Amino acid sequence: MSYTCGLLPVLEQGDDHHYEMSEYEGARARWCPGCGDHSVLTAVQRLLAAEQLIPEQTVFVSGIGCSSRFPHYMKTYGFHGLHGRALPVATGIKLHRPELTVFVAMGDGDCTSIGAAHWIHAMRYNVDMTAMMLDNGIYGLTKNQTSPTTPQGFKSNTQPYGSFLPALNPIAASLGVTNASFVAQTAEWAPSHLYATLRAAYKHKGFSFVRILQRCPVYTPSLFQRAVQDPANITLLVHDDGVVTPDLEKIYQSQTHHDPRDLAAARALAEQSDRINLGVFFKDPSKPRYEETRRVAPRTPVERVALLEKEFARYAV
Amino acid sequence: MSASATAAPAPPKVLRVPEHTVEIVSDSGEGAQKCGQIFGAVSAKMGNGVWTVELIPAEIQPPPRVPEGASGNRIRLGEHTVTNWGDRTDLVVAFNEQVLLARHRVDALADNAVLLVEDCWARSEDTDIVAQWNAALKELSGKHYRIIPVAMEDECLTIVDNPKKGKNMYALGLLARIYGRDMELIKAQIAHAFRKKSEEVYKQNVALLELGFHWAEDNIDFRVEIPTHPAETPLVVMNGNEAIGMGAIASGMELCAMYPITPATSVSHYLSEVFEKFGGIVHQAEDEIAAAGVAIGASYSGKVAFTITSGPGLALKTEMLGLAVMTETPLVLVDVQRGGPSTGLPTKVEQSDLLAAIYGQTGDAPHIVMAPATIEECFHVMITARRLAETFRTLVMVLTDANLATGVSPYPKPTLDEQWQAAPLDLAPVRDGQKPYDWNTETGLSERIIPGRSGGMFTLTGLSHDDRSKVAYAADIHQHSSAMRSRKIAVLQSLLKPPTVYGDDKGDLLVVGWGSTKGAIEEAVDRARNEGFKVSALHLRFLSPLEPGLKPIFKKFKKVMTVEINYSDEIGDPYVTEENRRRGQLSILLRNATLVDVDCWGRVPGEPLRPMSILEAIRGRLPRGGAA
Amino acid sequence: MPSDPRVAQALAALAQPIAEFRAAVQGALAQADAFLAAQTADAASQAVRAATELGVFGGAHVDAARFAAMFPAVAKADKTSLAALEKAAGILRRVAGQGDEMAVALVTDGVKLGATIDAALAGAGQAFGAIIITELVRGGRFKKAEHEKLLDPAEFRAWNNAERRFAPPLVVEVDGADLHAGALLDFADGREKIVLVVRGNAPPAALVRCITPGTFVLQTVDGTGLDRLAGYEGPAIAALLPEGAATFMHDPNAGKEPWQRLTVPFLPTGPFKAVGGFSAWQMEQDVTMLAELARTPFVVPSAPGGKGAPAIGAGEAVDRIASWLLDTSGLKA
Ligand SMILES: Cc1ncc(C[n+]2csc(CCOP(=O)(O)OP(=O)(O)O)c2C)c(N)n1
Ligand SMILES: [Mg+2]
Repeated sequence: MSYTCGLLPVLEQGDDHHYEMSEYEGARARWCPGCGDHSVLTAVQRLLAAEQLIPEQTVFVSGIGCSSRFPHYMKTYGFHGLHGRALPVATGIKLHRPELTVFVAMGDGDCTSIGAAHWIHAMRYNVDMTAMMLDNGIYGLTKNQTSPTTPQGFKSNTQPYGSFLPALNPIAASLGVTNASFVAQTAEWAPSHLYATLRAAYKHKGFSFVRILQRCPVYTPSLFQRAVQDPANITLLVHDDGVVTPDLEKIYQSQTHHDPRDLAAARALAEQSDRINLGVFFKDPSKPRYEETRRVAPRTPVERVALLEKEFARYAV
Repeated sequence: MSASATAAPAPPKVLRVPEHTVEIVSDSGEGAQKCGQIFGAVSAKMGNGVWTVELIPAEIQPPPRVPEGASGNRIRLGEHTVTNWGDRTDLVVAFNEQVLLARHRVDALADNAVLLVEDCWARSEDTDIVAQWNAALKELSGKHYRIIPVAMEDECLTIVDNPKKGKNMYALGLLARIYGRDMELIKAQIAHAFRKKSEEVYKQNVALLELGFHWAEDNIDFRVEIPTHPAETPLVVMNGNEAIGMGAIASGMELCAMYPITPATSVSHYLSEVFEKFGGIVHQAEDEIAAAGVAIGASYSGKVAFTITSGPGLALKTEMLGLAVMTETPLVLVDVQRGGPSTGLPTKVEQSDLLAAIYGQTGDAPHIVMAPATIEECFHVMITARRLAETFRTLVMVLTDANLATGVSPYPKPTLDEQWQAAPLDLAPVRDGQKPYDWNTETGLSERIIPGRSGGMFTLTGLSHDDRSKVAYAADIHQHSSAMRSRKIAVLQSLLKPPTVYGDDKGDLLVVGWGSTKGAIEEAVDRARNEGFKVSALHLRFLSPLEPGLKPIFKKFKKVMTVEINYSDEIGDPYVTEENRRRGQLSILLRNATLVDVDCWGRVPGEPLRPMSILEAIRGRLPRGGAA
Repeated sequence: MPSDPRVAQALAALAQPIAEFRAAVQGALAQADAFLAAQTADAASQAVRAATELGVFGGAHVDAARFAAMFPAVAKADKTSLAALEKAAGILRRVAGQGDEMAVALVTDGVKLGATIDAALAGAGQAFGAIIITELVRGGRFKKAEHEKLLDPAEFRAWNNAERRFAPPLVVEVDGADLHAGALLDFADGREKIVLVVRGNAPPAALVRCITPGTFVLQTVDGTGLDRLAGYEGPAIAALLPEGAATFMHDPNAGKEPWQRLTVPFLPTGPFKAVGGFSAWQMEQDVTMLAELARTPFVVPSAPGGKGAPAIGAGEAVDRIASWLLDTSGLKA
C-alpha cells in the first residue's frame, strides 16, 4: 500500500537533489545551553545528510522528557508521544510502513523505567529502527528526580539523601534480551564517536539500541566529569565490524579489540564497572526481524471482497 | 434400561410451540458444546430462528461432577427470528445430575422443564456418588420438572469403548428425534465438524447419533414441533466476535494490535487464523498500552488500525486513547465488555464500561462511541467505525459485550461492497500553506498528513498545540484547540438521524437501551403491550455523540426508563435517596442531555437479561392492572 | 497462462513483490477513478456514495446526503489535469488488468534478452509515471509541461533511485542459447528481482558473470533457493535451468569474501558443447570461475589445458582471480 510513497518526494525534489544538513533542521532547539542533547541533534542531522535520507521518508518518534523534544528540532516527520511509549508507536509505524526510516529518541527514565517493558520487547521484536537513549542519569524535564540509571548515592529531589539502589546497567540488560541484534554505547562529548556509532546503528538492519551518555549541565553536571576530563577512564571498543574512529585514537589510548559478534565477551565488557566502554558491544544482522517475519502480501479491495465471500461461505447456514 | 420412564410406546404427543429452549450440559470436555453447535446450525438451516449461548465454566479444567463445572450450550429455537437467549430452558439433556443442579440453582430451568439425565450415577458402585444422585433428585423435586433418566453410557458402550467420547452424539440423536430435525442435515454437519478426522470417526458418530434417535423414538412420549420458515435470503451464522473480525476485514483495516483478554480475545483468535490472507496482521503486543501504541503508530502512518480489549485493558489504554484524540490520529477500539470493576467477571456480560469509555480519559478527550445491538451489527459497525475515525480524525470506540461475543445467531449474509475499504492512504503532496491541524474553525475538521507526503514534515505531539503543531504556550491556544476537537462531535451529531421508537411513539413508559439488550428489551415490551401496558422501546447505537431528537421523543411518554446491565441503586434500598442514588450509566447520559427525569433499571447477574425480568421491571414501574 | 510449470514456480517465489506492485497500481487506480467520478458527481450520487462508504450501520444512522455535503469528495481540477489523469488511469487499468502476466516476459526470436527486459520494465515505468500523475492531479499540482512526459514508457536506465527501489519483479522465459548474462547486469540495481526460466540447452554457469558484492544471484534446477529471493533487500537475479547446469547461490548477506557468500551444491564437469553463440571454452571458463570464487581458502588451480598456475601473494580474492584469469589467458608474462 505504502509502495509509492518514495516516488513523489523524489520527483518534487529532483532525483539528484542534494540535501544539505540545514535541510534537516526543524525548530530551534530549546534545550539548556550546554545540554548534551544539542550534540546528539547535530550528529543526527549530520548522519541524515551523509546518508541523504529523504525527509519525507524519515520519522522521529519520541516519548516525553527533555530528550524527547528531539523530533521538533528535526525537519522530518515526527511523533512526540507519551512518556515511556515511544517504542510501541515506532513499532506500529514500521509494521505498517516498512519503507520508512524510523529513529527513536528516549530519555533514561523514558526507556528504562516507565517504558522498560517496551524496551525489552522492542529489542526482542528486532524491528528495524535506530533507538537512541539519551542517558543523563536523571529525570531532567520534571526537574531532578532519581532515574534507574542514577548512580547509587547521587542526591536528587526525590532521594535527597542519595539514591538508594545501585544503578541499572542498560547495556547489560540489553545484552540479556533474546533476539537483541545491536547494542552500542557512545558519549555525546565525543562527537566523532557519537556520529560513527549512530551511523553503524543506522546501517544495521534490525533494532539498534544506542545508549548515549549525556551530560545534564543543570542536574548532573558531575556525572561524567571524570570521563570527560580524563579520557583514560574511557575504553574504546574497536573492530572493523563495529566503530572505528581514527581521529580519537590519540585521545583515547585505552582500546579493546572487541568482535561485536562475541556475545559472551560483550556481556563481560558490559559488566565492567570500573570504566566506561564506548563502542559496539554486540551486533548480529542475522537475527530475525519482526516486520519481515510478519510481512504479508497486500490485497486490493477487489481481492479482499472475493476472499471474504469465501469466508462467509464457511459460515453459511 | 430406563424404559421405566415411559409406558408402552404410544404415538408421541406433539407439542406445537412457537419457541422452545434447549440445553445440553456436561462436565467440560465431554463435547456438549459440539452437540449444541450442530443442533443449532441444523435448526437454522431448517428455517428456525436460533440464538445459542455457550455455558462456560470459570475454570479451564474443573473437576468432574461438580456444579461449577457445568459446560455446554443453550439453544433457543423459534418460529421466527430469535433476538436473545430468552427466559428459561424447556428441555435439558444433562450428562450428570450435578451439572443439572447448577442450572437449577441459577434458576435457568422452566418450572415444567423436561430433564433428560444420564442415570448411570444412580447405579454407581461408589456410594458417595449414589448419595449425591439421591440428594440432587431431592433438591430438584421442589419444582414440577419432568425427569427422564437415560442410560446414555450403557447405550453408548454398545458402540464405543469410551462413552465420554460419544455421549454428545447420542444426545444429539435424542434431540434430533424430539425436535424432528433433519437427519441428513445433521450427518452433513457431523461430516463437516469431523472433516479433519477419519471416515471411521464419522461413521462411529453417526452410529451413536442413530442410537440416540432410536432410543428416543421408542421411549420418549412427546415431540416438539416449532414451525420452520426457510430463509429467503442466504444466512450466515457466527458469534459477535467473529462478526467483529470479519467486519474489520471488510472495512479494509490491516492491523489489529491486542493483548489477550477475555471475552475479547476470540476476535484475535479468529483473525489470527485468516487475517494474513487478507493482507492484515494481528500483533500480540507486550501489554494493552503497547497494543494501543502500535495501533496509533500504524494509523498515524497510513491506514486506520484497531485494537480490541475488555475492561481492564481499556483502563490501561487510557493514556494512549487521550494521545489519539490529542494528535487527532484515527483509531478504532473495540471494548468487549465483561463484568467489573477490576478483573471482575471475566467471562460474563455487563454494560458497565459506558461512562469509562466516554469520559474515562483524563483531560477533555472528545471522541466517538458506538454500540452495535446485534451480532449482525457487530459486522457492520466496524465499517462505519473505520470510516468515521478517518473522516473525523479521532478515536472511535465500539462497545460490545460478552453476550454478543459468545452468542451465536444467524443473520442475512452481508452484501459486500469494495467501497467500504475506499480511499485510505492519501499520498498527495501537502497543499501550500497546509498545516498539520488545518482546522476548519467552524467544524474543527482538518485533513490528515501522513508520513511520506511531500512537504509535510511535521511533528505531531500529545502536548497542547496550535494548528501548526507547535507546543502551546499562549493562553488562548488550548481553549481554541479544545474547542476544535470538541466541535467535531457536535458536527457528527448534526449529521445523525433521530432514532425510531419501537412501538407507539407515545405512551406511559419508554424503555431505553443500548448494546446487546435490544432483543430482550423489545421482547419484554411486546409482552407488556400484550398485557395492555402502553410501553415502547428505544435503542441507541450512538452514545457519543448521542443521537439527536431525544428530548422530543421522551416528552411523549409519561415515564422514561433505561434498562442496562450495569449496577444502579434502587430507590427503597437502605440509605438510597433520590439525591444520592447511583444511576444506570445510560440514564446519567440521558438526564444530562435532555434534563428529563430518566429512571433506570439495572442488573448485574453475570448473564444476559431475561425478557421476563425486564417485563417484571416494566410492570413494577407502571400502575397495576395494565393500561394506566 | 504460461504453459511451462517453472514459470508458475518463479511467479510463486515472487508473489510478495508482485502483490506489492499490483496493490500500488490498483490503489492508485482506485484513487484516480474516485477522483474522476467525483468531478462530475451531483449531490444525489455523492450521497449514494457516502451512504455506501459509511457501511450499512452508518447508513442507517447517518444522514448520507448531509454527510456528503459536509465532506465533498474532492476539489475540482482543470481540464488539462483531468485529461492527464484519465490517461494515467488508462495506463493503470491496463497494467492492473494484466494480472500475473504483467510480471512475465518472453524472449522472442530476434530480440535480445536485455531488450526484452527493458521493454517489459518500460511498461512498469509507465505505471510509476501514472501513479505519480495521479498524486499530482489529486494534490492540484499537475503542470503539463513539466509532468506529462511521465506518462511515456520509461526504460529502466531512466528510472530514478526511488523507482528502482520499487521496481516490479520480472519472470523472463528465455532459450538457453539467448542467455547472455552480461545484459542482466544493467538491471542489478535498486530492488529489481529477475527470474529467468531457461529452456533447452544452456550454458551451465552463465550467471556467474552477474556476481557482484551486492547482488543476490542464484542458479537452480529445481527451484531450491527461490524462496530466499523475494526477501533480499537488494537486486537479485535467478535462473531456473535444465538439469545438468551448475547450481549455486550467492547471498551478499552471508559474508565479506566471495567464498563466504557463495554456496555451490553442484558443479558440472565438462566436456561442454557449444550452445548458440556460447563456445565450450567460454562455458568452461564460467564453471572454473565459479569454482574459484567459491573455494576457501584460495588455492590457485591449474587452468584448463593443464597450464600450471603461478603462486601469487596474499590479497583480495578478486585480485587473485583477476591475476589468475590474466595468467590463463596468456596475457601475463
Ligand atoms: C505517565 C507519565 N508519568 C510521568 C510523567 C512526568 N514526566 C515527564 S518526563 C519524565 C521523566 C523524564 O526523564 P527522562 O526520561 O530521563 O528524560 P530527560 O528529561 O532526562 O531527557 C517524567 C517523570 C509523564 N509525562 N507521564
Ligand atoms: Mg534523563
